[in-house]
Amino acid sequence: MNFTLHIWRQECANAKGHFETYKIENISPDCSFLEMLDILNEQLITGSTPHSPLLTPHSPISHPVCFDNDCREGICGMCGLYINGRPHGNDDGITTCQLHMRKFKDGDDIWIEPWRAKAFPVIRDLVVDRSAFDKIIQAGGYISTTTGGVPDANTIPVPKHAADEAMDAASCIGCGACVAACKNASAMLFVGAKVCHLALLPQGQVEAADRAKKMVAKMDELGFGSCTNTYACEAECPKLIKRQNISMLNRQWISALLGRDKK
Amino acid sequence: MVENNSYMNLPKIHSISKKILVGALGAFLSFFLLFHASANLLILRHDGGEWYNAFCHFMGTYVIVKVLEIGLFAALLLHAGLAIWLAITNKMARPKGYHKPQRSKTHTGSKLQMWTGILIFACLIMHFTDFYFVKIGWVKGKYMVNTEELMKMKATQPAAVSFAEQRGELSAKGNWIANLTADDKAVLQEAGVEVEPDFYHQAREKFKVLYIVIAYLVFFTVVWFHLRHGFAAIFQTFGLYNYKYSRAIEVLGQIFTWGVCLMFTTVVLLVYFGL
Repeated sequence: MNFTLHIWRQECANAKGHFETYKIENISPDCSFLEMLDILNEQLITGSTPHSPLLTPHSPISHPVCFDNDCREGICGMCGLYINGRPHGNDDGITTCQLHMRKFKDGDDIWIEPWRAKAFPVIRDLVVDRSAFDKIIQAGGYISTTTGGVPDANTIPVPKHAADEAMDAASCIGCGACVAACKNASAMLFVGAKVCHLALLPQGQVEAADRAKKMVAKMDELGFGSCTNTYACEAECPKLIKRQNISMLNRQWISALLGRDKK
Repeated sequence: MVENNSYMNLPKIHSISKKILVGALGAFLSFFLLFHASANLLILRHDGGEWYNAFCHFMGTYVIVKVLEIGLFAALLLHAGLAIWLAITNKMARPKGYHKPQRSKTHTGSKLQMWTGILIFACLIMHFTDFYFVKIGWVKGKYMVNTEELMKMKATQPAAVSFAEQRGELSAKGNWIANLTADDKAVLQEAGVEVEPDFYHQAREKFKVLYIVIAYLVFFTVVWFHLRHGFAAIFQTFGLYNYKYSRAIEVLGQIFTWGVCLMFTTVVLLVYFGL
């Protein structure tokens, strides 16, 4: 398969970025998206992939295309590219590393952009700084006492639905696709998932409202937008985390507002 | 747990607070819309405006309703103002946008909420010109007088009473002399007769004009999009959209949205087709 790639190139955080265009040929349909970028980078290093001068008016950047990746099996949350208008590309419930070239048509133009949000500044090319998520977790996304080791099953009674919902929320890998997809660059789905997976379980319930208050305050402070209620986050989440988590976050936050965290 | 973060003590409006306020005002306005739609069904009665005008008279004279009317306008302006404020601050969260437009699978109404809101606001000006501005005297319309009040003036103003009886139409139970013109109103007011807007004949006259009917149908299509998203969004913002009730909320939202919009448009269409 042959593709025309339009990739966002930016030397560093303070540099002005631009799109560069590359032609890439003979890509296997079974190749993953990141493997395709690896092939492009090899060709850039060896100088076998020419820029299209008509489509790239800027002086070309010589170094390989920088992009985040780690496990390449959809569990670490490191990879994250905005591909043809969708975070993680044109498929549901996957990360970028799980996207395969068979999802595209031969000869397609593919536009690859970094996550765009004030709280996620571009470091270089397609790599963004997602440490804002770590700061939100540091603000309250934990249980402040040691809860001990793994208890025996059913030692602490947990309703089945609560266990299922907590597990679903806990599957958030913090990739940032929710922020990238949201037209307000809101992190409500991420914060909702982190608040819910603790608040639904007995160990996390004591601090639930206070946790919600602190994490939302931090989210606002870091410059994320407010929830649009368009649920693009839910549509693009690679772990299919539901909007109900945002609703529960709102509920916990209202509880905090009413002073329930002071009890 | 001890709060040691300084930002927690600062008096600031969090993003969720703004959403809650917009949602609460939206809920209030939605209830009013349902109330308004229900009241409009009275226009379909062929009673010369007996019931509908009695309702309008109550709404225009009862002191608590008048206070609520101020609250309604305040809610409308606050709802729109806060939504615009949210939209502006949210723009700041993404200073540089994407080159490719977003293709995420979301409901159309949710993406258009801001624009449908602005359109509704614009359409309300048309609605106010047709009806509300008549009430405050900025625009000419149809008028009516209360027969009981008129009879009290029979001894002192027999000519005015006779004039009103000749010019207007008596409602089914004879409580109102309605369908008076602006010129009639001027004559009667000069004689000291208290004249009120006749919204029954006003509405029936307006809804017989094709372009007004089309404009109202477009208006309520926009309202449909706004309510379709807004109804469930209110529950979401208030933290009530959970796994157990989410389906019920969606169904209720559909019923409410279709119900309100159909009630309004049915009245307009039935009057247009002379039913």
